[in-house]
Amino acid sequence: MQETMVYNEKISKVIDNINKVMIGKEDVAILSLVALLAEGHVLLEDVPGVGKTMLVRTLAKSLDCDFKRIQFTPDLLPSDVTGISIYNPKEMEFEFRGGPILGNVVLADEINRTSPKTQSALLEGMEEKSVTVDGVTIPLQKPFFVMATQNPIEYEGTYPLPEAQLDRFILKLTMGYPSLEDELEMLERTSKEHPIESLSPVMSKEELVLIQKEVRNVYIEKNVQQYIINLVRETRNHESIFLGVSPRGSIALMKAAKAYAFIKGRDFVLPDDVKYLAPFVLTHRIILTAEAKYDGRSARQIVEQVVKQTFVPIRKEF
Amino acid sequence: MSHKKLTNIPFIYTSILYIAGLLLFLEWLYPVDEVTDTTFLGIFVIYTIFCFFISILQVRWWLSFLLKGFGIFFILNGVYSNYGFWSKHWFSEMFADFVFNIEVLIARQWFDLSNMFRTLLFLIIIWLMSYLIYYWFVQVKRVMIFSVLTFIYITLLDTFTVYNADWSIFRTFVIAFLALGIVNVLKEIQSESLQTYRLSTRPLWILPLVAIVLFSSVVGYAAPKLDPQWPDPVPFLQSAVNGSGIGTGGVIQKVGYGENDSTLGGSFVQDYTPVFEAFMKEENYFRVESKDYYTGKGWVNSNDGDYVEQVDLDITFETFSPIVESEPSELVLSFDERANIPKLIYPYGARHVVAQNEDVTLMLNEETGEIRTEIDNDAVNLSGYSINYDSPSYPIELMRKSGTPEDEELVRKNTRLPNNLPSRVGELAKEITVNHESQYDKVRAIERYFSGNGFVYQIENVPVPTDDQDYVDQFLFDTKAGYCDNFSTSMVVMLRTLDIPARWVKGFTSGEKIAEDVNELGEDVYQVTNANAHSWVEVYFEGVGWVPFEPTQGFDAPNNYAVDTSNADDVLDAPEAPELPEQDLEKPEQDAQDVFNPSTGEKDSKFEFTKTHGIILAVTLLVLIGLMVWKRHQLRVYFLERKMKKQKDAAAYQDAYHYVLRLLRHKGFQKEPDQTLREYAIRVDNFYSTDEMGRLTSRYERLIYQNGSTNIVDDELSNLWKNLIKKILG
Repeated sequence: MQETMVYNEKISKVIDNINKVMIGKEDVAILSLVALLAEGHVLLEDVPGVGKTMLVRTLAKSLDCDFKRIQFTPDLLPSDVTGISIYNPKEMEFEFRGGPILGNVVLADEINRTSPKTQSALLEGMEEKSVTVDGVTIPLQKPFFVMATQNPIEYEGTYPLPEAQLDRFILKLTMGYPSLEDELEMLERTSKEHPIESLSPVMSKEELVLIQKEVRNVYIEKNVQQYIINLVRETRNHESIFLGVSPRGSIALMKAAKAYAFIKGRDFVLPDDVKYLAPFVLTHRIILTAEAKYDGRSARQIVEQVVKQTFVPIRKEF
Repeated sequence: MSHKKLTNIPFIYTSILYIAGLLLFLEWLYPVDEVTDTTFLGIFVIYTIFCFFISILQVRWWLSFLLKGFGIFFILNGVYSNYGFWSKHWFSEMFADFVFNIEVLIARQWFDLSNMFRTLLFLIIIWLMSYLIYYWFVQVKRVMIFSVLTFIYITLLDTFTVYNADWSIFRTFVIAFLALGIVNVLKEIQSESLQTYRLSTRPLWILPLVAIVLFSSVVGYAAPKLDPQWPDPVPFLQSAVNGSGIGTGGVIQKVGYGENDSTLGGSFVQDYTPVFEAFMKEENYFRVESKDYYTGKGWVNSNDGDYVEQVDLDITFETFSPIVESEPSELVLSFDERANIPKLIYPYGARHVVAQNEDVTLMLNEETGEIRTEIDNDAVNLSGYSINYDSPSYPIELMRKSGTPEDEELVRKNTRLPNNLPSRVGELAKEITVNHESQYDKVRAIERYFSGNGFVYQIENVPVPTDDQDYVDQFLFDTKAGYCDNFSTSMVVMLRTLDIPARWVKGFTSGEKIAEDVNELGEDVYQVTNANAHSWVEVYFEGVGWVPFEPTQGFDAPNNYAVDTSNADDVLDAPEAPELPEQDLEKPEQDAQDVFNPSTGEKDSKFEFTKTHGIILAVTLLVLIGLMVWKRHQLRVYFLERKMKKQKDAAAYQDAYHYVLRLLRHKGFQKEPDQTLREYAIRVDNFYSTDEMGRLTSRYERLIYQNGSTNIVDDELSNLWKNLIKKILG
């Protein structure tokens, strides 16, 4: 418990850092941290200019981590992501030059603008925690955290991520526009010097890895696990859902809930955690039926409906 | 939920509601008139209205207390006292009465409570009810409980007493549903905190409600109904209660002297209310009257007979001939004020009466020996009198020798039997007497027959014969269990089958000796109660007259027989074991008039005591039930808290916490299924401006979501829990 408190201080410092840069985006900051602590990855979907990149940069800077950025373009090659072996004439042999995926915090900007081949290079790395180049398997660094962004407006020349790959991301977030006050405040703060310049790291890599380990020890009671399963199963039976959430989704929801509980200073998961996270974890893992789409219903709405239909456990068998 | 919001509701609505409560309560009072003998119903109703009126005005509590208390004493004064309200005598009278009754209460002599005290208790109950109904109807706006209780009360009375509740049910239905409708709207208004300006102060919106309720009532009243599927629950219940399977079971009655003996049988409860005290040297049976015609179910008189005035209060009625030796004696009877037998109660051989009231006339029925006590042709209960009598010693030798009576008319009258009397009764009588020659020996044989042969004396579980059963036959051959009426009637009938003239006599035994040697004459005092009402047998012996015999087990007639020198047997009488009740088979309400009615003057009780008591008891019970329903939350809280403190485990706390959820649900805080406890707690805490639900919830969360939480119940938690419940219930 003592350690948890120390880590919690660190976590709140990270959040404070993000708050300095990203005004009024504490919820997104916390959710990003949830993904980070749950050893997952985040997909940020929003229009350009709302601060997706800034968020990732702030996070990376606060963490004293190796920050890499990949700007995805249609002509980007897988080797641009993973790295490539180059012949070194001096040494007379091939030498591996690591790509940006070998960083700790990777920003994959506009991931849907590149070809599926390149996308999968990144996504495989995310899942396997390693990349294979020229038959050599190179483990990725720890911690390893990808924040991918995609632009929902431009469809021209994009390669939407297939649903099966979408669920490699533990959370899918949207930033949204800041409120009037927040935007004013933002102008105020950035008029002289951008606050990100003055940020200093508050958490080391090692600490982060330790925290990730700690998060796995957060306790989750049977009834809350049951709640997760009920939620997931509900998506599989819902009339508006063509394809429900996979078991990987259940695991993701549990992991995220543990991380969220940890951030909130608890060593056990509440149904509240699950309920709060469900839309972020489940929305991108379901495929709506054509009817639902024509009715103009969004996946988010359906997930909310699922949450509404599922009973929260309020008893324990003794 | 707070009571302060009450003020939002215009006075007129609370008044309408409260008046509905008053009308419902009056439905409780109306039957009092019919099922008891009170003549005070009007007073009770007026006092009820008075109490309700004071309550609705919402005057200060002390003023209301004073007014209502004053009302009670005003009524008591007016009804029971001849003194003025402010008179010193009235106060001392009242004080003495209270002291007496409190002593009686402590001694648990319920039957000795004075009428005034009983009236006082009843008025106090009315007073309390006015508060209770105000609470139910106006404060918490819960009408259902009282309405249902009213229905239960009325229907029970309708089923089990003479009270006819047809219209009462109809009225209750209309009032109760109107009240429910109004209360529902008012509750809605309160819970939604609607502004009252929306509510017109003219209650026009009630009209549709009235119309609907009236319409449905009328339709319901007029609509065809199925016949009762269960015609009359009373016999069923009785057989279920008696469970003996003997006959049909009987109505439980109270012991006492009754007029109507045409349907004998049924069970009794003892009633030790005093009837009179007798000052006498030796024990006597007190005769009141005889009956001569057996119907197969009971006794009636074949003709009413003529009443002859007894000149100078000299009794001309004779049961035995002058040749029987007798000893002049005297005894004094002093009656309890509650006794209501406007007849002379006299020993065998009575010659002359000296009454305290000199205006009294005695009217003798020469057939039955019944002597009415009258003043100006109105029956009166005498408070006391002395009787000079010749205590007879019946000569056994003479009786043995006595031949067939010469008076054919007398024989004919006293040997009559119903045509459908089963022949086995006569056969049994013959069998018993086959070895006996003289009439006296035969009579003795039959008398003795009942002391063995499987007969038992009991007053409970005695059946009433069914339509095709003969009372005597049932007793002799089926049940063999009964009380004096069974024994005496059976003996008379058996004697009659042998053509021996016999008749059935009613009166009292000598009761219990309560004091010895109280005056210079060396007389003892005997207390005779309702339980001493009795019936026995008189047999006619030519030359001797009518001689009493006692077939009932455990009883011995104190009359001397010349050969038997002693009346040692008498010792066995009265105080001994099964005191012999005379039952009267009348309906309970008639029963009331028989013994305990106001003797003289209007200030005496018009109550029949146990019934009033019964009603008070019923009301008290219902109030108790109401209290329990009202306090059910407190009770539940008490038990849950005890469990929690005792077991200190998670399961107990889980129950306790879920009880809070249930309470909140009743208060309108439904927890949505998808709502987490935390979200719910925030909502609740916001409403009650507290953080207690949040704290309770966070403890509970640890309990059910945390790993092996050691979070057992401590005092802090249970106090928190109790406080929150108080808040919710408050």
